[in-house]
Parts: sequence; C-alpha cells; structure tokens
Amino acid sequence: MKRRTFLTAAGAAFVGLQIPIRNALADDKVIRFAMPQDFTRVYTFVTVEYSQGQRDYISLVNAKGGINGYQIVADISDHGNDLPRALEAYERAKAQGAILVDPLSTPVARALVQRAAADKINLITAYSGRSDAADGETFPYVFPLSPNYWTQAGLLIDYFRQQDGDLKGKKICFVHIDTPFGKEPIPILEALAAKQGFSLQTFPYTPPGNDQSAIWPQVRRAKPDWVVFWGAAVGQTVALTEAIRNGIPMNRVASSVWLSESDMDVVGRAQATGVLKVEPCASGQSPKIIQDIIKTVIEPAKGAGDRAKVGTAYYNYGVMMAALMIEGVRKAFEKAPNGPISGDWLNAGLNAISNFDAEGLIPPTTVTNTDHQGGGQCRIARWDGSKFVPATDWFSANQDVVWGEIKKSSAEYKASGK
Amino acid sequence: MDASLLLELAVNGAFIGMMYALVSAGIVLIYKTSGIANLAQGALAMTGAYMAWIGGTLIGLPIWVAAPLAAAVMFGIGALIERFAMRRMIGQPLIMAIMLTMGMEIMLRGLMPGILGASVKKIDIGIPNAPIILGDILINRTLLIGGLISFAMIVASILFFNSRLGVVMRAVSDDQTASWSVGIRVERAIAIAWGLSAVMATTAGVLWGATQGIDWSLSLLLIKALAIAILGGLDSIPGVLIAGIIVGLVESLATGIIDPIIGGGSRDLVASAIILITLLIRPHGLLGREHIERV
Repeated sequence: MKRRTFLTAAGAAFVGLQIPIRNALADDKVIRFAMPQDFTRVYTFVTVEYSQGQRDYISLVNAKGGINGYQIVADISDHGNDLPRALEAYERAKAQGAILVDPLSTPVARALVQRAAADKINLITAYSGRSDAADGETFPYVFPLSPNYWTQAGLLIDYFRQQDGDLKGKKICFVHIDTPFGKEPIPILEALAAKQGFSLQTFPYTPPGNDQSAIWPQVRRAKPDWVVFWGAAVGQTVALTEAIRNGIPMNRVASSVWLSESDMDVVGRAQATGVLKVEPCASGQSPKIIQDIIKTVIEPAKGAGDRAKVGTAYYNYGVMMAALMIEGVRKAFEKAPNGPISGDWLNAGLNAISNFDAEGLIPPTTVTNTDHQGGGQCRIARWDGSKFVPATDWFSANQDVVWGEIKKSSAEYKASGK
Repeated sequence: MDASLLLELAVNGAFIGMMYALVSAGIVLIYKTSGIANLAQGALAMTGAYMAWIGGTLIGLPIWVAAPLAAAVMFGIGALIERFAMRRMIGQPLIMAIMLTMGMEIMLRGLMPGILGASVKKIDIGIPNAPIILGDILINRTLLIGGLISFAMIVASILFFNSRLGVVMRAVSDDQTASWSVGIRVERAIAIAWGLSAVMATTAGVLWGATQGIDWSLSLLLIKALAIAILGGLDSIPGVLIAGIIVGLVESLATGIIDPIIGGGSRDLVASAIILITLLIRPHGLLGREHIERV
C-alpha cells in the first residue's frame, strides 16, 4: 500500500470514529440521549464501565419495546475532558434533538450549566459537576440524581459515629487530592467536626497522586481513629497501598463512591479486606435488573462491552443512572402522553420521580423541583476480599449541614453566575 | 517537628530519589552519545511497564521472565526509534529533534492506555507491602528494594562507560566527526544508547509500576527525571545518582515540613524550582562538563 493511500485510509477511519455510533432517522419514534463522555483522558478509570452499564440498560429497555413505543437512542462520543470538544459534542447533540446530556465530567458539566438552562436540555451530573446543583430551584435543568460529595462525606462521618457511639475527642484524617474535587468535602467535615467534637486533620497530595509516600507516614503518626481518602483512579490505589504499607487498619479507612473492584485488583484483593466506601447502588450481579440485563442483553451477545465487567461497581452506577433517566421518561409520558418530546417534557418527568428503587438496585429515590439529588441516600459497603458487601442499610445523614452548604453555594451562584 | 518523622521521610525520600535517578540515567545516556535531550523517557518507562504487564498478566509469564523480556523488547524499540525517527532528523535543527521526542512522549501516553485500557494495572514483582520497622522508623520495603536495584543499575552504567563499547560511545559523545574518521560506527553507537536507555526506562517503569500500579501517570516521571538530569549534569551518570538522592530527599522533606504550613502542593514545586535554580546558577549541573564555545 502506498504511503498516501495508507494515510488517506487512516484519516478516513479517524474521522469515521468521531461519528456517533447510532444515527436514527428523523421520523423514527426515538428519544435521544447524548452521552459525550471522557473515554481517553481523566475519567478513563470509570467511563468505560459506566457507559457499558448505561448502554446495556438502554438495550434492555429497547429490547422490551422501549417506552410507550419509543426507542431510546444513546449517542456515545468521546469529549476527552476537553472543553472545546465537549461543547462541540453538546451543540451536535442539541442539533440532533437530544433532550438529555450526560457528560460525566466535572469541568464539562460546569461549563454546560448555563447553556443547558438556556436550551432547556437536561444535564445529568452524576457523581460530578456542581454539588450545589442538588438545588433544583437554582439549577432547574441540572440533575445530579446521585448523592453529591458533601452528602457522601456526611454519610461517612455518621457511619463512624454509629460505630464509635460518639465522635467527641476522636481524630479523623482526611487525605485528599489537591484539587477542587479533593477539597470539596472539607467545609462539611469542618462543620461536622465543630458540631460533633472530633478533630480533623487534612493531608493534601499532589495530583494525580501517583506518589504519596511522604504523606502516609504523617497520617500514621497522627494516630487517627478514622481515615477518609478522597481521590480517583491512581490516586485511590496508591492511597490504599500506602495505608496498608503504613499498617493503618483497613476497617478504619473509608472513601467516596470512587472505589471499585479494579482498584482492589491493583492494591491486592486480600490485603484491602475491610476498606469501606460509600455505595450509591448495589454492586454485583444479583440485583434483578442486572439479572434481566444478563438474560436479555448479555447472553444474546448484544452487550456493549466486556462481559466480565457486568455487575462491577461502576457498571452498576451506569445502570443506575440510565434507570433513573428512563424512569424520568416514564413519568414524563404519565404526565403528558402525547408529548411533545422535548427537554421541558422530560424535565417534568425527572422532577416527578418518586420512591423509585430500580427493583432493589438503588435506595428509594425521590426527585422534586427543589431536590435534584434524590434524597441523598446511600449505604456504606465493606470490601470482603472478593466483593463489596453492605455494612449498613440505605440511609441518609447530616442532610441539614449538607443542605446548608448547598443553599449557601447556590445563593453565591445566583448572585455571581459562577 | 518530630525528628523521627523527618528521618523516616529522608530515608524513604533517598530511595525514591534513586528510583527517579534511574529514569534520568536514560536521558543522560542519550544526551552523552547524541547531544539530544530525550523528552520521551517518561513515556518509555510507562511503555516498558506495560510491556512487562503484557508478559506477566496477559501472557501469564512469571515476572522474572516477563520483565527481562520487556527490557529486551524495549531495547529493540529504542534502537528502532533511533533508526527510523531520530536518524531522519540529521541535518535538521536540534530543537526539531527534541520536539520529535516530545511528540513521541505525547503519542505513547495516549497510545498505550488506548490499546490496553486506561484502568490502573497491577504488576506484582514479589515485594511484600509489609514495612521494615526500625524503632520508630518505618522503611517502605518497595522503595528500599526499588532504590537498591536502581542504584545497582546506575553503577552498572557507570562501569559500562569504562568498557570497550562504553569508550566508543564516549568517543562519539566527544566528537562525532572525529569518531567517524577513525572508523567508529556512530549511528550504531547512538542506536545502542537509545536501546540501553529504553532498558533503563523499562526497569524504572517496572519498579514504579510495582509501587503505584501501571497507567499513563508513569509518564509523569519525566519531570522528576529532567530535574535530576539537569541538577546532576546532562552528561554525567554519577551526577544523576547524587542529584536523584538530593531531589528525593528535598521533595520528601518538603512534604513533611512545608506542606503543613502552606496547605500542600510543595512536592511538585521542588522539581520545578530545582530546574530553574540550576539553570540560572550552574547550567552544567553538579558534575556536568562545562561547554565553552570558542569564538
């Protein structure tokens, strides 16, 4: 093959890859979701499994005839956590009639907040974006539909309180990536420290967190009662490994939703036994909804990815979010069976989600015009050496402190637009 | 400030510094032979670690087979980079050759996770996580063994430059035209330097991979490696050993002393401050040769 022919073919293949995987005809009965996500840069640790879960659930719904005869179309593309690419993907989605966008990226979500509001397109910001977007009155088109980082911090502190009876005089160390995401829980932790009488010591580490060897000796010497580590991807596995190397008991170490089975493989499944995490939905293959996916989508070889990933924590996060989005569609049809299908129409449906638990996959979730977080319920799960097992039932905690921060921050947004 | 904490940070920091220095030694090796600063050294370390992971995890070889095999493959890749990329830059401005290495760094950083998946990969080289405890001091076993292996590799490369092939490479480094005129195959010597540099990168990548897991962030070793190479002297292998220990120590102590005061983030400042201060005060580094142009 001549070099020019090869280069032309490679160029054409590259351009071809940029085209979304499914383009429905304009007159199809379809509801279009846009899922431009980061498959190649920062959020790579979660995106593949999350997107696989979303697509498999949407395939399940479509295989059962869709919703009211409408098929759900998921337009997948890669924005690489790059704002110009993400904005381009958003504009393309808007032009194609998408009524919901799920970018799974904090910087992208923050950049899209005002556009989504102006365009009346529902912006899903699960486990990302602005924590104050839980305030549906200030952010009517932004839907976290999941416990924000303030809620997650509040849940962990309450779990520690449940275990120790009282946190007065205890010491909690917070080891975090030195970014806005890593610092986000600090106001809640400080407020709870003042309220409950524990002392808080924070240890920031330089992103991405691949070397924390000088941090953890300081944590060990602080003799904490509990340690919370807060990062993502390599920062999480290095944190956990260093905690083990420093002899910190795993059953006193906890993290946010960003801990997965893959992380345990890196750290060592047996060595990490006991570590705790916030779990927003059940993991594993036993939930009924995952069993349905296996039977209807995976076994007929229609799955979106690696079969071994079905039922992992991040896969199930994807199923959870897709289930909530589609519950919003169901509710929208209940309220306005004849549409028209639009962002406004879906917005009404999402705001009407009530006590939805995705057949046991997630805690009972209610979304209202004022609460886009969905109630802030989670459970604490413990790694048992082979899987995450629930250490508590679904619960919410410290929501007074969390909502105080949400209202304060959203008021600042209203005043400044930032 | 707790003295035993500082001692613990210093000891572990010195071992980390030796592991950084192994990456730097590859940069120096290429610079000594061809006069080019290889900005792809971090990505080569990452690629070498991925190669060992392919051998150890995907193919299922024992790590003592997979790691040397990865080093051998990387030797070939290093030599091929010289043959098919760097040699084409002969006659081009030096900056273009350096930019080419930067292009390779960016390409490899995307390519390897793109092909093999972006999640962090585990590589187990058999070092237990249990620390060595000396009184109140805890020594990280992974860093200790990694540091000692790095030290041995660097000493071996110092000895290598006294071997016959090493003398040839030193001659190429001193004057390529004169080397040519006495029958030395200059291109071959430079290709070997690239190959050996890739082997050092692979060893460093495997050791760091065992410490932190394997993902794209291994390529960030480049920044520390550059700081060490500049501080030690771009053409001095003994220099990188000393500079590595200095950088590791200062970084580690800064985290313990300065971070609590400024609220974090001093670790990366150390590397950049060392680059700036060295270039301003002593551009040829601690043990590097001072080049004086005659006009």
